[in-house]
Amino acid sequence: MKKDTRILELLSAYLDDELTAPEKAEVEKILSTSLEMQKKLEDLKKTKQLSSRVKKLPESPFFETRLMGAIEGQKRKTSGSRKWLPAASLAVITLIVMIVMKLNPHLLDQVWEGQKVALAGFYKENLQPVLTAANLSNEDIFNFAFNNELPLDDSRRQYLLLGYDDSGKEYFEIRSSDQKLDRGSYKEFVTAMNLDDKQKETVDSIINSYSKALEAQVLVNDKNTVAINPNVWNMRKALFADLLVASEKMNKTKFDRIVPKGIDENERVVVVNAVSKLKNSTGDQYIFITPDSVFEDKYVFDPKIVEKELKKVERQLKKHEEKMQQFTFQMKFDSAFKKYAEAENRHSFKIVLDSNICRVDIPNFDQTENQILEIATLDPLIEQATNNIHFYAYKIPKIEKSKSEIKIEYYNDDSIYSYVVNYNTLNIDSLVQVNGGTDLYNLENFKPVKPSDDTMLIKYQFDKNYYHRYYSDEEFKRQMEELQKQLQDLSKELKNKKIRVHSEVTKSPAK
Amino acid sequence: MNSKDKEQDLQQPQIVSFDDDYSIIRRFIDGDKSAFQVLVKRHKEKVRNIVYLTMNNSALVDDIAQEVFITVYRNLKNFRFESQFTTWLYRITVNRCKDYLRRMNVRKIFSPLDESFEVSEYSTPIENNDISKIVMDAISKLPAKLRMPLILKDIEGFSYQEISETLNCEMGTVKSRIFRGREKLKEILQPLEKELL
Repeated sequence: MKKDTRILELLSAYLDDELTAPEKAEVEKILSTSLEMQKKLEDLKKTKQLSSRVKKLPESPFFETRLMGAIEGQKRKTSGSRKWLPAASLAVITLIVMIVMKLNPHLLDQVWEGQKVALAGFYKENLQPVLTAANLSNEDIFNFAFNNELPLDDSRRQYLLLGYDDSGKEYFEIRSSDQKLDRGSYKEFVTAMNLDDKQKETVDSIINSYSKALEAQVLVNDKNTVAINPNVWNMRKALFADLLVASEKMNKTKFDRIVPKGIDENERVVVVNAVSKLKNSTGDQYIFITPDSVFEDKYVFDPKIVEKELKKVERQLKKHEEKMQQFTFQMKFDSAFKKYAEAENRHSFKIVLDSNICRVDIPNFDQTENQILEIATLDPLIEQATNNIHFYAYKIPKIEKSKSEIKIEYYNDDSIYSYVVNYNTLNIDSLVQVNGGTDLYNLENFKPVKPSDDTMLIKYQFDKNYYHRYYSDEEFKRQMEELQKQLQDLSKELKNKKIRVHSEVTKSPAK
Repeated sequence: MNSKDKEQDLQQPQIVSFDDDYSIIRRFIDGDKSAFQVLVKRHKEKVRNIVYLTMNNSALVDDIAQEVFITVYRNLKNFRFESQFTTWLYRITVNRCKDYLRRMNVRKIFSPLDESFEVSEYSTPIENNDISKIVMDAISKLPAKLRMPLILKDIEGFSYQEISETLNCEMGTVKSRIFRGREKLKEILQPLEKELL
C-alpha cells in the first residue's frame, strides 16, 4: 500500500474515532504540521456529515402482521405438500414458486390467508361514510341515482360504479376519473323537467331524506378500503323511482314525456314499500375492497359514533384553527391489484382488472333480509325515464325511417315539430360523392351538399350535436366510418342495379 | 450520583440489550412463538432502513425485510449464542440485499439505465428533503462493496468491528472501503458542492 493512501485511510478512521493509540498519535502529529492533511480531514468530515443527513424510512405499522401472515402461509404450504412430492417434481415446483415469487413478491394473497382476521380488523378501522369523507353534494347523490356513479374522494379522482351484467347479477367497479362514464346528470333532469328553483328545493329535500340511509351504504377509510353494502343497488333504484314519483306532481306535462305510459298503481306501491324498507333497515353484511383483498364480512355501522368523531374533529379544528387535511382516496390499480388479474375465482368474487378499472362481480351474494325482490319491477320504468331524460334534456330530434321516407321530429318548448322527407326522390350518397376521399368524421372539412333537401345532409345537420354529446371521439369516428361504408355499399348496390337493368334491356333483343 | 454509578448507568443499556435478544431467542426455542414477534418489533426498523439505504428503492423494502425475517424464523432454532443476534440479523440483511442487487444488475443488462441523476437540474436552492434524496442517489451510485460499509458507518452508526462482522471481512478492509467510499461520494457530489455544503 502506498504511504499516502495509508495515511488517508488513517485520517478517515481518525474521524470515526477508530484508531489505536499509536495510530492516533501518528495522525495528530501529521495534522499538526500539514495544512494539506488538515484540509483533507475537513473534506472527509463534510462528506460524512452529508451522508448523515439522509432521512430514514418512515415506520411500517403493519409490517409484523404481514410478515406473520406470510410465515403462517408458508408453513401451511410446506406441511401439506412435503410428504407427497417426489424430489424431482419438488425441484420443478421450487423453480415455479421462485418465478411466481419474483413476479409477485408481495405475497399479499398469502398474507390474507394467514392473517384474515387481523387484516379484516385493520381495514375496518375508521370507516366513515363516503358522503362525509368525499364531501358529496345533493347533486352527486342525484347523479348517483341517475347514472350509478359515486365519487369516492373529495378530489373526484375515483368513482364507484354499480352495474348489472348480462345475467342480471350485480357488479361494481372502481374507476379512475378519466374512465368516468358521465352518462347523465342532475342538470339534464332539471332541463328535461323544466324545474324552477322551488321545485329544485323539493328535489333537494327528497335527496336529503335519503342521506341518513345512504350514508351507511358506502364507507371508506384512509387505508384505501371501500366497504359496500349490497343494499346500495336497491337504494339507488328506490331513490330514482321516488324522485320520479315526486316529479310527476311537479310538472305533469314534462313528466309525461319522460314516462309516457305514466306510473301505475302497482309501481307506486312498490316504490313506497321499497323506500320505507330501505330507509329503516341497514344490513350489516358488507363487501370490503382493500389494497390486499376483496372479502365479505359483517360490519356494524354506527352513525352516532361517526357523528361524535366528526364533531370531535371539528371542535379540535376550530380550537387550533388548522386547515383540515383533504381526504384523498388513492388506489393504485397497477401495483396493488396486479395479482387479481391472475387470481380469478380464488375468492368468492370474480375480479377483472385493467390499468384504470377494477371490477368485482358478486356471485350469489346472500343477504335475504335486505332483498326487495319486487323492486325489479321498476327496472323498465327507470330505464325508460333515464333514456327520455337524456333525450329531452338536449332537445334532440327523433329520426324514424320507413320504407319510403324519413320522419324527423324535434321538440321545441311545448310542441313537437316534424319533417317528413321522401326517401326515394333523394340522392342518398351525395355526401360521399361531394366529399370523396375526405375525412368523413371531421365535420369541419365537409363541403356543403347542394340540394337543400338531401336526406343525409338533414341527418348531418340534426345529428351533429347528438354525436358530440353522447359519444367519445373514438365512438364518433367509428360510427362515421361505418356510415361511410354503408353509403359506399349503397352506392355500389345502386350502380349494380343500374347495370342489371341495362343488361336486361340489352338482353331482350338478343332473345 | 457518584462516578461509579454513572459508569454503571452508561453500561447497563448495552448489557440489557445483549441479554434481551438472547432471552427472547431462548423463549422462542422453548416453543413461545410470540417471542419471534418481539424480536421483529425490536429490529424491523433497523433492518428496513438498511435495506432502504442499500437498495435506494422504498418499494422493495418490505419485501426484502420480510424475506430476511422469514430466514431468521426458519433458522432461529439453530442460533448458537456465540455472537450478537444483531450481527447475524444484519449479515442476513446485507446478503439478501446483495442478492437483489445482483439480480437487478442482470436485469440492467437487458434494459436501458435510468439516468435520473442530472446534476444540472439543481440550480435553485436545495431543500433539506432534496439533500437527502440527492445524497441517497449519490450513495446508490457507489459500488456495493463501498456503499455498504459507508451506509453502516455514516448513516447507521455501526462501529468498524460491527461492520467487519456484518460484512464478514477484515477490519483493515472496512477501514479502506469507508475511506474510498467517502472519496468516491465526494467526487459524485462535487458538482453540487456549493449548494450542499
